Formats: sequence, C-alpha cells, structure tokens
Amino acid sequence: MKRLPFFNSPVLRGQLPAWRSRLVLILLFVGFATLAARALFLQGITTDFLQQQGERRYERTLTLAATRGKILDRNNVVLASSVPARAIWAIPDDARAAPPQQLAALGKLLDMPVADLNKRLADEDKNFVYLKRQVPMDIADKIMQLAVPGIHQQPETRRYYPEGEVMAHVVGFTNVEDQGQEGVELAFNKQLSGRPGTRRVIKDRLGRVIEDVQAVTEPVNGKDLRLSIDTRVQYLVFKALSDAIALHHARGAAAVVLDARTGEILSMASLPTYDPGNRGSLDTDALRNQAITDTFEPGSIMKPFTAALALDLGRITTSTMFDTGNGHFRYQGSTISDVSRNGTINVADVLRRSSNIGMTLISEKLEPREMWDRFTELGFGQAPQLGFPGAAPGRLRPWDRWRLIEKATMAYGYGLSVSLLQMARAYTVFARDGDMVSLTLVKRDSEPTSVKIYPPKIAALIRTFLEAAAGPDGAKLAQVQGYRVAGKSGTARKIVDGKYSTSRYRSSFVGFAPVSDPRIVVAVTIDEPQTGGYYGGAVAAPVFSTIVGGSLRLMNVQPDAPFESTVVAGLQERMR
Amino acid sequence: MGRFSLLLAVILMSCAISLVTSRYQARQLFVDFDRSQAQARDLDNDWRRLQLDRAELARNARVDRAARDDLKMMPIAPDRTIYLNQATAAGGAQ
Repeated sequence: MKRLPFFNSPVLRGQLPAWRSRLVLILLFVGFATLAARALFLQGITTDFLQQQGERRYERTLTLAATRGKILDRNNVVLASSVPARAIWAIPDDARAAPPQQLAALGKLLDMPVADLNKRLADEDKNFVYLKRQVPMDIADKIMQLAVPGIHQQPETRRYYPEGEVMAHVVGFTNVEDQGQEGVELAFNKQLSGRPGTRRVIKDRLGRVIEDVQAVTEPVNGKDLRLSIDTRVQYLVFKALSDAIALHHARGAAAVVLDARTGEILSMASLPTYDPGNRGSLDTDALRNQAITDTFEPGSIMKPFTAALALDLGRITTSTMFDTGNGHFRYQGSTISDVSRNGTINVADVLRRSSNIGMTLISEKLEPREMWDRFTELGFGQAPQLGFPGAAPGRLRPWDRWRLIEKATMAYGYGLSVSLLQMARAYTVFARDGDMVSLTLVKRDSEPTSVKIYPPKIAALIRTFLEAAAGPDGAKLAQVQGYRVAGKSGTARKIVDGKYSTSRYRSSFVGFAPVSDPRIVVAVTIDEPQTGGYYGGAVAAPVFSTIVGGSLRLMNVQPDAPFESTVVAGLQERMR
Repeated sequence: MGRFSLLLAVILMSCAISLVTSRYQARQLFVDFDRSQAQARDLDNDWRRLQLDRAELARNARVDRAARDDLKMMPIAPDRTIYLNQATAAGGAQ
C-alpha cells in the first residue's frame, strides 16, 4: 500500500459541506458552556447549601454545660452542690421491642412499677418520653448495661442538699431545670447559675473531636456562694426548736440568730420544715420560712423600744414612777390588764414585770408621730433588704389614723405586726450602741453599715433593764450558765376570727448575750404552744437559753458571768 | 536545570509529607488534650461528689446522734470547762 501522508488522505480530498465542521464546533462549545454553567451554579449559587450539607456530615456543635455554683456556709461546709446525673428517656416505638423481663429490670432500677412504665411507653404519638429525670450516675450506668432498645440517656445535673431539713428554709431548692425556686437558691439564682458554652468541632470517623472550627465559647460556671449561716449554730437552733415543739405540742416555731457586730445572720430556722432532697410530699405550710414571711403581733417584746423612746425624748426618767394599781386599768373605754398586781413602779420594773398599764402610761407622754417615726426607723412596716423571697414588711399603720387606745396598745406590741427577723434586727440597737446594723445572709468581709437610732447612753440603760428582765426576778429560764444575758419575753394573744383568742398564743423571747460585750442577738418565737404553759418566759425563754449557751460556746466566747467550776486543773483561772 | 527541578520536587515532596504528619500529630494532640479536659471535668465532678459525701457523713444531725446515743456524750457546760486565756489572742476565733 502506498504510504500517504495524513493530509493527503483521499478521504479528505472529497469536499465536505462546511456546516458539518461548524456544527461539531458549536456542539463542543455548548458542551463546555453547560459544564461551565453547572460549575458556576454549584460554586456560586448553591454553594451555601452544599457547604452546609458537607459540614453537617463532619461538624458538630457541642453544648458545654455550666455547673451551678455551690452554696457553702461560713465555714465552707457544703450546703448545696450539683453533681452530674442522667435523664432517662425513651422512643416508645422502639421500646416496644423490649422484652418484658428487661422492662421489669428497668422498672426496678428506676423504682417505678412496670405498669407505670408501660403506660408511658404506650403513647405512640410521641417520639420522646422522659421516663425519669435526675437519675444518679451509678443507676444510669446500670441501665446503660441493660441495653434496653429505645431507652436513651441524656446528661443533666442533680442538686444535693446534705443538711436536708435543717437548712431547708435558708437554702431552698431548685427545680429539674436547675432554676432556683425557694430560699437562697431563688434569691441568688442569677449568681449561682452559670452560662452554658458552645463549641463547634469537627469529628472524625470514630466520633472523636479532632478540631475546633470556631473559637470556643467557654461555659461560665456559677459562682459559689458563701453564706453567713453557721451550720453548727443552725443545727443547734433546729434541735432546740424541735425539742420545744415536741414538749409544748406547738404548731410551729422559728428562731433567728444574728451576729451583733457584723449583722450576719448566723442561723435562721423555721419549723415545720421539709426535706429539699425529697419533695414528694411537700406541704405548703412547711414551705414557708416563718422567720421572714410570717408576721405577727409582737406583744411585750415591743416594750423596750417604746420605753427607750420615752427616755430618749426625756419624757420620763429612770425615777419616774407609774401607778399601775391593782392590775386592771380602764383606758379609753377598754380594760388594760397586767398579769400581776404591780403597784407603783419605775420604768425598769415596767419592763421587768412587763406591765401593760405601765406602758400605757408611758405612751400617754408620747405623740403618735414620734412613735411612728421611731418604729419606722427600726425597720417595722418595711420589708428587710435581704433579697430573700417572701420577706414580709409587716404592718405599721400611718400615725395620723391612730386612736389613743391604739397608741397605747402599740406601745406594748399590739396593733402592729412584724416578722421575727425584723424584731431580731431591731434588737441590735440594744446589743450595739444604739445603732441598728444592716443584715446579710452572705458572709461579710467589710464593715457593716448601721443606722443610728438611740443614743449610746439610752441603749446602755435599756441593756441593764433587759438584763434585769432576764434575771432572777424576770424570765429566769432565759439565763445561761456562765454568760450574762439580756432579753425580753413576750406572750401575744393571736387573733382568731377577728377577736383576740384566749387559748391561742404566740410566745416569744428576744435577747442578746453576753451583756458585757454583746456578740449575738437571738429571737425565738413558738406558735401556739398547747401544753406546759404559754408565757414567753416559760416556753420561749428556755429555748433562748439553749441557743445562746450553745452558740456562744461554738463561737468561743469567754464567759462573762461568775459560776462555780466543778473541774480543777493545775492552773485554774479566776473568772471575772 | 534538570537537577534543580529534581531537587525542588524532592523538597516539595518532603514538605507535603511533613504537612501531613504535622497535621496528624496536631489532631492526635488535640484528642489527647480533649481527653485530659474530660478527665479534669470528671475529677472535678468526683471532687464535688466526695465533698457531698463528706458533708453527708459529717452532717450535724448524724454527729449529734452518734455523740448522744452511741457514745453517750453530753454537752459541755462552762462549769466543767477550764478556760485558758492567751494574752495576745483576745476575743477568740469565730
């Protein structure tokens, strides 16, 4: 065969129509144009969608849970702390495949009857059913090992309250969503709860995180909160109150212990109480913190404030005598009576013997306006600034609407209402030099602020009166071995159906110790004691004594009263 | 010229390989770091739990019961206490 060069090929020699080559050229061009358009479409217009799809296959956003802060007492004892737990949830459709014995085992671990479990799983419309929340880790791990189909777990936290019912009213509790519901948990919810963080990561085939895509938003854990409460004092108070309730078959009781120097609340207890860790049978009555939310007519514990006011304004002196007669006194159409026949006495004895008639005579020398002003300065009628939920303001009616008889009854504590905490705070004026300290539930590092209310001289005078009132001739059950105490008992009749009851009382005692240099103010109130008397000096004073003795010992306060020592040491120190 | 491009190719190859290895190492380290962080979290949780356990065991109610019932102890009273005074440490501790 003759070798021909390509261009000499006879096939080419024939003249082909020119459009054919052009057609091929155009087709090729159209093909490329299509490809370019497609590329442009994918890269330019749907790029976001495609990138998203890609990211969804390897990127994940993880939520980094923040832990709620701990609540500690003043000595760093844990009062509330969160630990991880798991929520057990199910996809009912998948769970139907589970064999009955597995469900039985699950029910046993969850402490739920199998019938209950089945009822929850019966709802097929849902594809997410919580079986139980806040299951402790060890139980959750056992459930994991059961490998029941359709049962899944989700991490969450559970809050524990080791002190339980002793601290319930102060600390409060959170709900399953970790939000504070009561007490400090609610009052300081913002501070305690953290801010959850997020991080966007790339995961590999095995599900391991291999890279952060964006900067991590770190979770901010809740701040720990250090309260002013002393757990040991709190337990002491709790024990004393529950003993008193058992002894007197009382309806309730509450007590507050304040540090007179710093205004810190060392203890605040209210009974009946509840267990914050087990709120299954929660009684709304037990939920109330009676020391803060309940207001009551204070009765005789109000007397020192009125007496101090009269002394301060110079309307009476320590030697002014009051004729209280035979214990019954007609005043403005009502009869005011004393417990005993007191005769003619001075102001110290009016307080010591708690004479209502004496107080009426003192109130005669005072203007309503003056009393109202002083009571308001003492914080009555306004809610204490604690940030605590449910703090009651109490009731103090405007002075211009007081009738004369009301002015008299207010002088001895009827016709106005206060909370126990307000009362305890007001008594800091006598424990200090006439100034009332601001209260706090959080441990204080700086000096407290205080408001001047009485001159130091008057405060010191009332202090001696109150010491006598808690002395051998007064409420002697309030006395504490080794410490000088001062205080005032009060017995207030409760209002039942609009009338003062003759069978329901509230017995209170408010005082401070040691008198030589007061460290604590203690206020105790017992609601409706049934047996063993009802006078404040008989019911509340012994509780006061127990609390003061124990607290001062716990605070390492040296005794300031003489007492017989029954122990002998080589080098015995003489007591003052 | 040929030698030079060969050299460049070798350098390019080694760069590419070192990039791959360093990338691998970085990921490995990141995984380790992550694991350590998880461990730290676990330890923190354990610490919390132990702290709670301790608080639970040292609960005042429990100690009180143990002291009174099991050990037959009684509360101290000033008359059975010897007070020692240190001239410098006045006031006592809280």
